[in-house]
Amino acid sequence: MKQKISGLYQKDGTKSVLAALISIIIGLAVGSLIILAVGVANPTLGLTGAWDGIRLVFVGILSTGRDAAGALTFGFNPTSVGNMLFRATPLILTGLSVAVAFKTGLFNIGAPGQYLMGTAATLIIALSIPSDVVPTWLIWWLAFLGGALAGALWGCIPGLVKAFLNINEVLACIMTNWIAANLVTWVFDGSNYRNLVENTKSGYIYKTSFNGVETAKLGLDKLFPNSQVNGGILVAIVIAILMYVLMTKTTLGYELKACGSNRHAARYAGIRDKRNIVLSMAIAGALSGAAAALYYLSGNTEFFWSTYQSLPATGFNGIPVALLAASNPIAVIFTGCFMSMLDIVGLQLTNLTAYNEYITDVIIATIVYLSAFTLVIKTFLSGRKKRKAQAARAQAVPEEAPKPDAAEGKGGDGV
Amino acid sequence: METENIIEMLHITKEFPGIIANDDITLQLRRGEIHALLGENGAGKSTLMSVLFGLYQPEAGEIRKNGQVVKIHNPNDATALGIGMVHQHFKLIDVFTVLDNIILGAETTKLGFLQKKEARKKVEALSERYGLKVDLDAKVEDITVGMQQRVEILKMLYRDNEILIFDEPTAVLTPQEIDELMDTMREFAKEGKSILFISHKLNEIMAVSDRVTVLRKGKYVGTVNTKDTDQQSLSNMMVGRPVQLKVDKTPAKPGDVVLDVKGLSVHARTRKKDAVHDVSFQVRKGEIVCIAGIDGNGQTELVYGLTGLEKCSGGAVTLCGKDISHASIHQRGENMSHIPEDRHKHGLVLDFTLEQNLVLQRYREPEFQHLGFIKKGAVRQYAERLIEQYDVRSGQGPVTIARSMSGGNQQKAIIAREVDRDKPLIVAVQPTRGLDVGAIEYIHSQLVAERDKGRAVLLVSLELDEVMSLSDRILVMYEGEIVGELDPATTTVQELGLYMAGAKRTTKAGEQA
Ligand SMILES: Nc1ncnc2c1ncn2[C@@H]1O[C@H](COP(=O)(O)OP(=O)(O)O)[C@@H](O)[C@H]1O
Ligand SMILES: [Mg+2]
Repeated sequence: MKQKISGLYQKDGTKSVLAALISIIIGLAVGSLIILAVGVANPTLGLTGAWDGIRLVFVGILSTGRDAAGALTFGFNPTSVGNMLFRATPLILTGLSVAVAFKTGLFNIGAPGQYLMGTAATLIIALSIPSDVVPTWLIWWLAFLGGALAGALWGCIPGLVKAFLNINEVLACIMTNWIAANLVTWVFDGSNYRNLVENTKSGYIYKTSFNGVETAKLGLDKLFPNSQVNGGILVAIVIAILMYVLMTKTTLGYELKACGSNRHAARYAGIRDKRNIVLSMAIAGALSGAAAALYYLSGNTEFFWSTYQSLPATGFNGIPVALLAASNPIAVIFTGCFMSMLDIVGLQLTNLTAYNEYITDVIIATIVYLSAFTLVIKTFLSGRKKRKAQAARAQAVPEEAPKPDAAEGKGGDGV
Repeated sequence: METENIIEMLHITKEFPGIIANDDITLQLRRGEIHALLGENGAGKSTLMSVLFGLYQPEAGEIRKNGQVVKIHNPNDATALGIGMVHQHFKLIDVFTVLDNIILGAETTKLGFLQKKEARKKVEALSERYGLKVDLDAKVEDITVGMQQRVEILKMLYRDNEILIFDEPTAVLTPQEIDELMDTMREFAKEGKSILFISHKLNEIMAVSDRVTVLRKGKYVGTVNTKDTDQQSLSNMMVGRPVQLKVDKTPAKPGDVVLDVKGLSVHARTRKKDAVHDVSFQVRKGEIVCIAGIDGNGQTELVYGLTGLEKCSGGAVTLCGKDISHASIHQRGENMSHIPEDRHKHGLVLDFTLEQNLVLQRYREPEFQHLGFIKKGAVRQYAERLIEQYDVRSGQGPVTIARSMSGGNQQKAIIAREVDRDKPLIVAVQPTRGLDVGAIEYIHSQLVAERDKGRAVLLVSLELDEVMSLSDRILVMYEGEIVGELDPATTTVQELGLYMAGAKRTTKAGEQA
């Protein structure tokens, strides 16, 4: 039994999980410290206020508000969980986008641009096909696939540039991000998808609920009443599983990883390295595009089209999601949910305490830094294990400490 | 305090997952001697030296310098003790200049500014004194391996190291460079520096060392005086059984033409000139044809042109009756297996497991995949068979990460993979580079066995011994052309040397063998 546990400990996967957990706990601890510091410094909050904040940081997802006496109450809160799943949906997909590229040796920092192109394609398809002629489910699928395709094509660009001109994909990704931001703004600026009806708001595109092309709830609204969750989360989970299978079980995954790990050896083995680099980036782009599609097809989200000055955070947040998951597609499901849980925690802090959601930004930032260090933590974990073994041996050895004289004899001439 | 032994490593034990790389090893280095460390690939030589250099911490044992116990936690500690190391795989920064690489980590500064001028003077003086010619302002990526090694040596000298470790320094050198290195080492020893020298090449060890310590599979076998021993007994000690140093083979019975090369030219990567110019030859079933020559005379490019890694710029290549001049690497692979020159660049995906590497050329075959899904069980079984049959040693069998395997076993894995593909033509480029006699014996006998099964073997080798003993026909390459065809039975090493140096040729450009 003990052996089994230590065997588990030695497994790389276990170390990755431990490293991620350590990053998360440190992140939450740092957030708590800040809450404590602010609380102590601020007489209206005080220690009790800080204690409320800290509890929310750790288990905010289970918060059910305050009771009559004003104390925080906890329990299963289906609305929060549902909202968490809803917000996790695009994060899981952009996380996958970054993770799959990582596995094939590429750093896809272009997820925001691919996400934007996916957004544009999805909304244009969803809003322009007349829903009184074409069944809405068909429009939904066309819009979803269109979004993924647009992301894929956008991802291809850095892929092509890398494969044929040997220009680093990070550079090309950054450039294509901003091209996408300007392109999308320009396209919608002149379009008639702008929501001019609800004129209390300006700068937004119609929601897809406008013409009924919204993601089916698939009964999830019953499970998590009053939340925004819909079938998109199931689609994201299925895609994550497909990616896992693709990367670990198929010849295509083998080829992609071979190219990423050693392009020369892949070429030597007759693998078309250029094609595979482009393909990796296309898959990554498709995932980011799909992230956007699922988010904006939900029916209750609005796109602020004037994006030329900023890139969507969902795209960048794919990076910590992937890092925390050590690029394992299945783990991405959980790290995506975790990141969106922090969002919910931020809302709870704002709603229930005098703190605001920016605390969670600090937590996320800490975790992002630490997740880049997961490798270091992993090495540390293996090192500790070794040192333990060493210490154990050192205790057993003393009686037979090295005898220099014997060594002299051995080291002499002849055998 | 002057002790006879400057360094003593006593009862060193170092484990890696699944393998004890050093098991209770004791090594004593005398002041001013050249001490050779001999052992098969994976015997633990590099590991032992890495322990001395502070790269690994041993689980047991101690190190003494001048009789005092010392703790070496990292290479900085080692440097402080005057220990320097030239690694098997050089550790230079490609984009830095030679000078920067030499002073890196030991920079002299004044008020935080680099004092490059002084450093340059010191390096120039050292380079002059030992005849270590380097171009201080060239970038490392632009210089030859031989010069890179001189840079590594200068790095040690610059740090005033008195204990110098050379981990397989000759594996990457041309015969002439090897002679120069030997002279340099003797010079160091004369000045009282103590040298640890790792090599597989028994003739080098016989030529340069004072004493030899032999390791086998992580264990200490013994230490002998070089003048009291000979090559045969050293190799027996190292392998643990009598070794056949000469290749055992019957005369070739060449059959049909398998590979027919006509007027092949291949462009050079960097220069305008052809690296391979108008080369023609044939390889038949059941013969081993060897391309001999000094490194850098177009052999690499010739192989790239044949295997498709580089485009041919002229001429025609016919393999098994099919014109493959413009075929893809994959298509050529249908009739050709290729043991590449650079096992880390082309031969292996180092971060993949051994089993993943063993199917690198075959994962597309129905035996290993169904509808695009890899058959895990079949891959595992196949890997286990190859590992067993070709005696590939590693810590964790099929799931060992290739990077953690010793160089010799990495090479064995490649040989296993390529030979087992059963293709009519085997292109083997320096298949025994850096390997120990046991492994060389094995690989040579494999190639001869493949020949006897009716395969055509095209061997590219820089080792004269290998060329003379293994080939049935020799083609000599000089400056991108084939300058002569020789019969190993009637030719001498001296004559071969003349062709290789370009002093003699029997074919004019355009009318080659
Ligand atoms: N960093 C490492 N991790 C795991 N195994 C290693 C590592 N370095 C070496 N080994 C293993 O230890 C053994 C000794 O290797 P090495 O010292 O490199 O041999 P050599 O005598 O050829 O230099 C080999 O079996 C090798 O696979
Ligand atoms: Mg070695």
